[in-house]
Amino acid sequence: MTGRRVAVTSPQTRLAHARRRYRGPWRPTTLDPAEMPRAIALYRAGRSRAVAALAALGALVFGLPFLLWLWPALDEVRVAGVPVSWAAIVLVPFPAMVAVAFWQLRRAERTERDLLAPEATADADDDGSGGPAAGAGKTPGEGAS
Amino acid sequence: MIVALAVAPVVLVTMLIGLRGVAAMRTTSDFLVASRRVSPLLNSAAVSGEYLSAASFLGVAGLVVKDGIGSLWYPVGFTAGYIAMLALVAAPMRRSGALTVPDFAEARLGSAALRRLAAVVVLVIGVLYLVPQFRTAGLVLSVVTETPYWVGVVLAGGVVSATLALGGMRAATYVQAFQFVFKLMMFIVPAMWLLIQAGPEVRTEATQPAEFTHFRDDTTVTFRVGATLDVPPGATVVDREDGPRTLEPGAWEVPPGTTVTFADGTPVPEVRGEAVPGADGWERPLLDFDNEGYPLLGTWAVLIATMLGTMGLPHVIMRFHTSPDGRAARRTAAFTVALLSVFYLFPGIYGVLGRVLVPHLYLTGATDSAVVALPAQVDDGTAGTVFTGLLTAGAFAAFLATSLGLLLVVSGAISHDLVPGGLRQLRLAVVGAAAVIVLLALPAAAFDAGTLVTWGFTVAASTFCPLLVLGIWWRRLTAAGAITGVAAGLASTLGSFLVNVGGPELHGWVAILVAQPAPWTVPLAFLTMIVVSRLGRPAPWATAAMLRLHLHEHRLSPFVSRTQHDGAARDLGHSSWPARRSSAVRRITRRLGR
Repeated sequence: MTGRRVAVTSPQTRLAHARRRYRGPWRPTTLDPAEMPRAIALYRAGRSRAVAALAALGALVFGLPFLLWLWPALDEVRVAGVPVSWAAIVLVPFPAMVAVAFWQLRRAERTERDLLAPEATADADDDGSGGPAAGAGKTPGEGAS
Repeated sequence: MIVALAVAPVVLVTMLIGLRGVAAMRTTSDFLVASRRVSPLLNSAAVSGEYLSAASFLGVAGLVVKDGIGSLWYPVGFTAGYIAMLALVAAPMRRSGALTVPDFAEARLGSAALRRLAAVVVLVIGVLYLVPQFRTAGLVLSVVTETPYWVGVVLAGGVVSATLALGGMRAATYVQAFQFVFKLMMFIVPAMWLLIQAGPEVRTEATQPAEFTHFRDDTTVTFRVGATLDVPPGATVVDREDGPRTLEPGAWEVPPGTTVTFADGTPVPEVRGEAVPGADGWERPLLDFDNEGYPLLGTWAVLIATMLGTMGLPHVIMRFHTSPDGRAARRTAAFTVALLSVFYLFPGIYGVLGRVLVPHLYLTGATDSAVVALPAQVDDGTAGTVFTGLLTAGAFAAFLATSLGLLLVVSGAISHDLVPGGLRQLRLAVVGAAAVIVLLALPAAAFDAGTLVTWGFTVAASTFCPLLVLGIWWRRLTAAGAITGVAAGLASTLGSFLVNVGGPELHGWVAILVAQPAPWTVPLAFLTMIVVSRLGRPAPWATAAMLRLHLHEHRLSPFVSRTQHDGAARDLGHSSWPARRSSAVRRITRRLGR
């Protein structure tokens, strides 16, 4: 008796896996009309969320070089011997980007949770930004923040 | 010898972890996306491990030595890409259920031609990205041991293809996650040691940039690739037999393979067309390419290319497909931002120390090796050798992890998208692709790794980034629009590279836009897609196909009737219409669920 593990797939499955794949005719994706409102609400919420996050990111990533270009004097100012402008490329963007990422993640998850259980949160919706839940199942897209 | 001892464990552990992945490998899905069972934390470590390539581990510090502090914008762009990914791509991409980017393109737009075009783009990006990895593996191994260049290239190719052919994505995931932690340790600990060991004098000097004009010691420089130097009057070379000898001032063609020892205190020769480390402008925190006088444009061009390129890199996107669902994919992206941010705090330390301690590397163009050359300059005893070994091991881990992911998407593009086949064909494709890349990397020793990788990013930014963003967020995108847009992006970036390599000498902002074409190729690709799509008419199912990507998977159990929620007694666990016709089995299971 050895401890060797053996695959227990049917011979037919093994044959099917070994064979060349047959790629059947492509079929368009379908979406259940009953789920359409929820999908639209999620799409709109996601879109406005993405715009906010990208605006914050763009302001940070393109604004900081602009500021450093505008004030070359920052190269001369030193904190503990290190020029402020050097520290600014490393110590400002990375913590700020981590903050933006987790802010974005939290909002995304809250939106989805609220939409998943609409009636549970409809009455106890205590947060301001991510509250697209109320009635989203019935009125398409109205709840998107 | 100690270096061989450092690289051997990395290679062995990679192979062992690879063997672990062999356990359950039955289908294409097992091979390409590890059957989608990878948790967010493990996956983000794997994404980071895959992403921190030679360009991050060695390249950024090397660029700081060569071009100045402004090179620290590269890591910012590399990290910012994951926020864009998190906001725009991660969850919908995973929810599409595709295995590869070409798969996604076909699922969304229903065009086989687009799928093939996307597969070709994957191959272009893969080659642009893989060749420098293998090349740098060969170069680093030849710098720290005395092996010839090809040994490192073949070794890297062999290890990567064996691991991947045996273990597929599952093996790649564990290897990359392990190597992220390993690389982080191998990068942070030597950085701290170097800072402490360098002493207050070097530390002060590191923050006071001065032009590299005179050698501080007898400095031995090995020219693996030939170079043309402008020798100033009074430059002295020490020969082992003949003693000191003064060089002729003027141009000096150094043949490849020469070793020259410059005497202590002699003036430094200049390299044609390169700025001297520490020269005027080095300390500016912006990227002024070739001192053309457009620092802001240069910096923004790099940021656009790296940020949007990250979003379109096929091997990164492939990693997101290994998440079990869209939510996990999004978490993976957020964790990745945090993990990368920790790593990218440190390349600057190597860069500024390298400018003080190993500025002569710029003579040979090998500033990439600044990181591994540093410990020997600080301590010539055992400690220096040990830390050289650690950094070499980390660098080798960087090549292996990145090459694993890239080789996987390249073989996926060949064997899943271009010529669909089973598991055996995928494994063969891995070995074949690795062999081709090794052959391409053998004559590529003279190429600058950073340039090739940046090109890879630019191609991704101007092809896949518009395809994914518009595909996910714009319902009116048509297949014709996507094809012309991707083709326009690919053609304009590749054309720009050709002009840059073989075209006439350019100056001013034109030179920057040709060398860093992202600021105009990305809008061009977006615009082409939008205009051509507007001319046509999207398919009737296009809106459903787009909205489907945004619908989360965690719906209620298919067995529970959802009458109380929607007022419609439908079996919503299924997404396809015909499957919802009532059947005896479904009726009974529904009743059981009540």
